Amino acid sequence: MIPLSWFLAVSAILFVIGFFGVLSRRNAIAILMGIELMLNAVNINVLAFWRYTQPENPAGLVWAIIVITVAAAEAAVGLALFIALYRLRTTVNIDEVDLLKG
Amino acid sequence: MALFDQWVLTIILFWPLLAAIIVLFIPQDQEDRIRRFSIWMSMVPLILSTLVFVDYGVRFLQGTGGLQYELQVAWIPQLGASYHVGADGLSVPLIFLTALLTTLSLYYSARTIHHRVKEFFFLFLLLETGMFGVFMALDLVLFYVFWEVGLVPMFFLIGIWGHENREYAAIKFFLYTLVGSVAMLLAFLALYFVTGTFDIVKLTEIKPLAGNLWLASLVFFGIFLGLAIKVPSWPFHTWLPDAHTEAPTAGSVILAGILLKLGAYGFLRLLLGILPHAFAYWGWVIVGLGVISIVYGAFVCMAQTNLKRLIAYSSVSHMGYVLLGLGAAGVALSGTVSFFDKNSAALAIDGALLQMFNHGIITGALFFLVGILYERAHTFDLTRFGGLSGKTPYYYGIFMVAGFASLGLPGLAGFWAEFFVFRGAFDIVRIWAAIGVIGVVVTAAYILWRIVQSVFLGEFNTEWEGKLWDMTGFEKVTLWPLVILMFAIGLYPAPLVNFFNRAAVELLTQAGFMF
Amino acid sequence: MDGLLFLIPALPFLAFVLIVLFTNQDQKVSAGLTIGATAVSWLLGWYFAFRAFFDPHGVAEEPIRLSIPWFPGGYSIFYTGFQVDVLTAVMLFMVPFLCFLIFVYSVGYMEGDPRFSRFFAYLALFATGMLGFILADNLLLAFIFWELMGVCSYLLIGFWSFRKPGETHIDHAQVKRARAASIKAFITTRVGDTIMLAGMVLLYAMTGSLRWSEILAPETLEKLADKIVSMPVFGVAPWATVLAILIFWGAIGKSAQFPLHVWLPDAMEGPTPVSALIHAATMVSAGVYLIIRTFPLFHVVAEGSNSAMWFVAFIGTFTALFAATIGIAQFDIKRVLAYSTISQLGYMFAALGIGAYIAAAFHLLMHAFFKALLFLGSGSVIHAMHHGHHVSHEHGHGHEELPIEFNPNDMRLMGGLLNKMPRTAWTFIAGGLSLSGFPLITAGFWSKDEILADAWHGGHMIVFWTLAIAAFVTAFYTGRQIFMVFFGQPRSEAAKHAHESPNSMTVPLVILAVFAIAAGWVGIPETFPGLGAVVRGWFQSLMGAQLEALHLEHETLPFNAAPLLISMTMAVGGLFVAWLIYGRKPLGYEDPLARPLGGLWQAWHNKYWVDELYQATVVAFAKWLAHFLYNFDDRWVIDPIVDGVGRYGRRFAGAVRRFIDEQIIDRIVNGTAWVSNVLGEFLRQIQTGQAQNYLLAILITVTVLIVLGIGVG
Repeated sequence: MIPLSWFLAVSAILFVIGFFGVLSRRNAIAILMGIELMLNAVNINVLAFWRYTQPENPAGLVWAIIVITVAAAEAAVGLALFIALYRLRTTVNIDEVDLLKG
Repeated sequence: MALFDQWVLTIILFWPLLAAIIVLFIPQDQEDRIRRFSIWMSMVPLILSTLVFVDYGVRFLQGTGGLQYELQVAWIPQLGASYHVGADGLSVPLIFLTALLTTLSLYYSARTIHHRVKEFFFLFLLLETGMFGVFMALDLVLFYVFWEVGLVPMFFLIGIWGHENREYAAIKFFLYTLVGSVAMLLAFLALYFVTGTFDIVKLTEIKPLAGNLWLASLVFFGIFLGLAIKVPSWPFHTWLPDAHTEAPTAGSVILAGILLKLGAYGFLRLLLGILPHAFAYWGWVIVGLGVISIVYGAFVCMAQTNLKRLIAYSSVSHMGYVLLGLGAAGVALSGTVSFFDKNSAALAIDGALLQMFNHGIITGALFFLVGILYERAHTFDLTRFGGLSGKTPYYYGIFMVAGFASLGLPGLAGFWAEFFVFRGAFDIVRIWAAIGVIGVVVTAAYILWRIVQSVFLGEFNTEWEGKLWDMTGFEKVTLWPLVILMFAIGLYPAPLVNFFNRAAVELLTQAGFMF
Repeated sequence: MDGLLFLIPALPFLAFVLIVLFTNQDQKVSAGLTIGATAVSWLLGWYFAFRAFFDPHGVAEEPIRLSIPWFPGGYSIFYTGFQVDVLTAVMLFMVPFLCFLIFVYSVGYMEGDPRFSRFFAYLALFATGMLGFILADNLLLAFIFWELMGVCSYLLIGFWSFRKPGETHIDHAQVKRARAASIKAFITTRVGDTIMLAGMVLLYAMTGSLRWSEILAPETLEKLADKIVSMPVFGVAPWATVLAILIFWGAIGKSAQFPLHVWLPDAMEGPTPVSALIHAATMVSAGVYLIIRTFPLFHVVAEGSNSAMWFVAFIGTFTALFAATIGIAQFDIKRVLAYSTISQLGYMFAALGIGAYIAAAFHLLMHAFFKALLFLGSGSVIHAMHHGHHVSHEHGHGHEELPIEFNPNDMRLMGGLLNKMPRTAWTFIAGGLSLSGFPLITAGFWSKDEILADAWHGGHMIVFWTLAIAAFVTAFYTGRQIFMVFFGQPRSEAAKHAHESPNSMTVPLVILAVFAIAAGWVGIPETFPGLGAVVRGWFQSLMGAQLEALHLEHETLPFNAAPLLISMTMAVGGLFVAWLIYGRKPLGYEDPLARPLGGLWQAWHNKYWVDELYQATVVAFAKWLAHFLYNFDDRWVIDPIVDGVGRYGRRFAGAVRRFIDEQIIDRIVNGTAWVSNVLGEFLRQIQTGQAQNYLLAILITVTVLIVLGIGVG
């Protein structure tokens, strides 16, 4: 059986890749993809812990499903925002979206 | 009936406020709707207060007098302040008078106010609630709140819709009255610290500070200042001519008709009710100020060339009779003078109350009449008129009735007040009353000499050719109720005197005036 | 039937209301309403009057009455109502009857006036006032009607005080005079009324009632006479005296006695029927009626120390002579009569002052008849002069050159009217003879003689001789008037073209003339030789019943020739001297007495300058005081203090603003803002607005925290 730590390692690597994408990309779509990666990393983490520690309790599965749902909703809202942004500014480069700058 | 008993006053009291709030939601450009709505809404308190008047009369005949329609609900229990309202023979006629004059004023203003209509009607309805509140309140905090509620709308009515010098007048009115209010508030607090209650009925029973003349006098003069400014008594009267002269017609009517009565009402309800000993001790002061107001006001009228200002000063003189009557009752209470008839003190108060009611009707009518002339000529200058009796006979006729009522002609309302006041005062404070009588003669002189002779008789000033038309329909409708009341009270004063006399006797008995 | 009592004043009032509200456009209906209502009142009045005449003792003891509760006063209730006793009955005989006659006369006199209906409305209101006044069973109700009469008097004097467009026959001077006269009348009488009001309320306070029967009850009066009051200035007196004098002031004003007489002559600016009815026959005698009514109050204090009676006698006697002398030097036909009215009312007060109750009532009644007659006669003359003036203009008799301005009232422009208008002339002469007290046949002789006889009998010699001289003067100016108006040659075109007035005017004159002569016969004293046996002093015994009911003694005077002869001599002598001066030779435009009498004439002609004196003192003082107080109020003291408080309040507030607000509070507030600003400038550098920067910051922070946490842990 594959030890738990391997799953955690994969999860951590995925999370860091995703986080790096969020921080370094300028394209909003790419940032969104980074976020999705991070969410999946979390899912792997959650499921791994569930399977290895309390398989009789379905809470871990439920959490994973909630995260997937939230991710879907987030992607939908995020994409809609970017479309609106594109219509308004003809760009999805987030460097140019800084109206909140003090 | 129990429901009616408890809630009728509250409905009368808050109905105008409700109407005022609704007026705020009517769009500004629908002026006609605002006017119609306000007038109709003001009919409700009028009808209810008429009902109360009749109902109280029925109860009177059945022998139940005193406070009726009482309602007491806890309000600020931490302070011992409650929402406590009620009415007796003192306040029922005055509530009716308030409702009547407000409706007539709104009706008249609907045709004459064309500028910032919404605010005008909003403020006017708010003012009505304030006035009702003072006459109904049986709690000092409530009394004070409504006292101030009445002040603010009047300030704006003068300041926005007034004549040339309106801002000066409005501020003078406000500051003067505010100074008085503050003194009064301090006195109220003093009463609270002594007794631990704000309830007027309880305070009337307790009669606080009876043994402590020094402190009682301090409290007395605190309240006295607030009331005397409102009445207004000489020498606190100079806000009145300015406020009256500058106020719009309806404002003057309410100011003279009701607001001055708030002060006089306070004398009875607060000073005589709560502090009878101080009232008796200082009765002389009230008599003195009253007589000075009568004579002084009347003479100053003779020197006026501004018609509205003249009538304003006549209010000072006429309210002097109220003070003379009240003060005489106080002197009688003190027991320091000998007099012949046990009825005299009650009669003096009857006279003061009658004067309050009648002055409301008569001076209200006079201010309407002056306003009607102003609408046409745009001036109050007496010297520019003349010979109007031939041009505007209807106007002349109504003015003569109001003028004669004002100078106390028997058969019209004004006479009874003078008769009762002097009937009481001549028995108790003879010399002062004898001086006060001079005012009666001078009143005849200024009404006839200054007003009738310069405005109605003599040569017509051709400047006004074709510009002064006789009274129109809505002006007649405004004045007829008042004229009818002048005649009705003049011929048969019993309905009013019944109420007032009962209230006066109760007050005197309560104050310890026993025979 | 007794319940109908209220109808007597109510009917004319109803007529007034109907005219004002409905029929004011229709002159005939308006006049008809007034006259009809008065006629019914008259009949009703006579019904009650004759009931009293047939049973004087019963009615005097137990008056016919109608009473309702009026209002509560303190712990008691005030009743009001109407009553008829003998005194009321006597007035009720005269008042509605005269009203009726004069209203009929007015129809002719006022014809063509644009305010005809209004005139009749006012007349109806006046009838209400007078009838209500005599019927009232208490002083308060009487006072209300008394003032109502005052208002009517005011309205009627000023009736010609304004013009409607298109009106022609009134001139500007007339408008001005009428305006001033009406206001003067109201305010002058108001002075008296106000003093009377004081008396009334004091009386009410002391007796607890104002009903005649209660305030005049002997026990009440005794109480008032026993109580002593001490006053500043006037000293000590019984209350009865004080009250009586206060009430008497009302009568002084209403009956135009010195010093409040000034309004009555000016009141002649009103239409003549008004002068006849209000200012001669009824309203002005209301004052006398009031004193007759309250006579027990005056009489109760023992003689000798009774200053109330003394005061009444003094005012009456003085006024009788004072006004009579002024009457000598007047040219206005109505003004002569006005002064004669004042003088005759003085007679009545003098009579009351010496206790001659019956004589005063008798003279009041007789005077009403003959003075109404004289006024209506003079109205007829003025009417004729007016028309004569118009006719002479229209017929092109050219512009007449007169040394004086034309005035239809001016007796200097009359003369010789006896032939032009015989009915008016003869009735006027009858009235004039009655006024001068022409012996034996005229009413005025009997009533005046009664007063003089009482004065003589009571030993009041000063009163007697003053009144006797006044009687001489009265006869003299009456003769002067008759000779100037009706005899000699016409002294103007208007007088030449004058002609008799219409029947509606002359018929009342004739009826009144009958009364002016014959009415006096009812009062021929029982002791008078010959005639006395026929009449047996009917009027005296009638009023005697009233006196008995009031518990006052009344005696039949023994016959005494001395006062009788003196009175006759005075009357005939006065007329004779008048004939000598005015009747014997043709008159010019200047009075034959003006030059010989010099300054005295000037004093009479200018009414002793009383008007000017009042103008210079009372009126001027009131005006000065008004302005002084107003300046005190507005310019000098009170308002400047108020404004000053306001101004210094603002200055103080300004100082507070400059030194505390600006220097301290504002600096603190501004300093806070400055610090925030600097901090903000620094912090905004971090705010890039880019989420990635923030995330990086979060990453760094979290990393640092974790490292630190591990380090610590």
